[in-house]
Amino acid sequence: MGVQSWLEERSGVSAIINFLKKKTVPQHKHSIWYYTGSSILLFFAIQVITGFVLAFYYRPTLEEANKSVARIMTEVPLGWIIRSIHSWSASFMIALVFIHLIAIWLIKSYRQQRELTWMSGVFLLVVSLAFGFTGYLLPWDDLSLSATKVGTDIPRSIPVIGVWITKLLRGGEDVTADTLTRFFSFHVSILPVFIFLLLAVHVYLIQKQGMSLPLAFESKKEKVEELPFWPNFVYREMIVWLLLLGVLVSLAIFFPPSLEKKADLMAPAPEGIKPEWYFLFLFQTLKIFPAKILFINGDTLAVLLIVLVGILFFFLPLIDNKPAGKKGKILTIIACVFIAYAVAMTVWSLLE
Amino acid sequence: MKKKFLAVALFVILFVTLFLLQFDFGQEVRPQEQTKTPQLEKSPEKIVPSPQNIKQATAIYVFVAWMWLAIIILIYFLRLKIKEVDRLHRLGYFSGEKK
Repeated sequence: MGVQSWLEERSGVSAIINFLKKKTVPQHKHSIWYYTGSSILLFFAIQVITGFVLAFYYRPTLEEANKSVARIMTEVPLGWIIRSIHSWSASFMIALVFIHLIAIWLIKSYRQQRELTWMSGVFLLVVSLAFGFTGYLLPWDDLSLSATKVGTDIPRSIPVIGVWITKLLRGGEDVTADTLTRFFSFHVSILPVFIFLLLAVHVYLIQKQGMSLPLAFESKKEKVEELPFWPNFVYREMIVWLLLLGVLVSLAIFFPPSLEKKADLMAPAPEGIKPEWYFLFLFQTLKIFPAKILFINGDTLAVLLIVLVGILFFFLPLIDNKPAGKKGKILTIIACVFIAYAVAMTVWSLLE
Repeated sequence: MKKKFLAVALFVILFVTLFLLQFDFGQEVRPQEQTKTPQLEKSPEKIVPSPQNIKQATAIYVFVAWMWLAIIILIYFLRLKIKEVDRLHRLGYFSGEKK
């Protein structure tokens, strides 16, 4: 008995191969957005591989965290490049998740029967951001400590459960060694479980519902040209992956992230603390709110507003539940306003 | 259905507010003072990673140049392959195989 038939009898892998052979991908002027999904998977795989390598040397303790990252950057062969690739690929992944979701919002691919695909996608964005947030503290330098103090203090403004959330995140009243071990645990064990489960559900739902089509094709029921997934579409994806890999490695080599000096829990916060770029628009939103609006605390109002927008974003397919082919001009305008707002706030925060 | 949903929602809210909020999930097991001890040990200043010497710098530039050359060559071959598989697709080669 050959290896192939031995494997086939036990796993039934040919069913998956046959499915991939029969799978087709629509070709139209918006097809470029189909490449963002697979590129997210590419960067996720890079994150997992570089994360494993970094975990060989990283030590999540108050005394050793900063030292072990310094060792990775100065003593471990190619350690600084691995860390730089891990950091840049996290940014690429989050940027692509944002682009992917906004593209789906604009072409209204979340409608009818794809509601769960959208919701699992929003969860994936939240988990990706959580990865970024927890990973930022791990080098345990001045900037990461101060940014985490600010970041974990934000939920405190939420009535009733706010203080509890802050304490849960920090492992106490303040950011301490317990916060570091907690964030490390989230970063390397809890969040990966969530992201693998969500990815499995998301990919399954995409295969179950098929690739979405732009509004014009959905409404007119026009025949769209379709390409076989294997090999026609995969070859095209490979070109995109190669280009992204080239850009990633070049950026990682020429613009590696630095490491500040070890965080001192007793020291005052340094000037100009800023979170990672993907949190800047939220950070700036919180900053522009006045201390008091009428009799309500400004921070509380800002946080509640952000939570409300997040909930509306999650339930978007239930709010806009028109049939697939119908236009939704108001939601398109809202999406454009949101993009403009997020970009403007990010630029403003960067310039400050 | 609606009543059932409301009952579940009420239960979840009560569970979170009355039960979960009482739990500290092992928080503050350690006294705060213990972790807030001043760190007397000197730590290195800011580390900006970069090649240590001219040999390493040259190796990195050569690597980047080779990487982009390899990418360009691979893309060239992939484009040829795409042209070929698209031609086969137009001829119905793949759909014929599926039948």
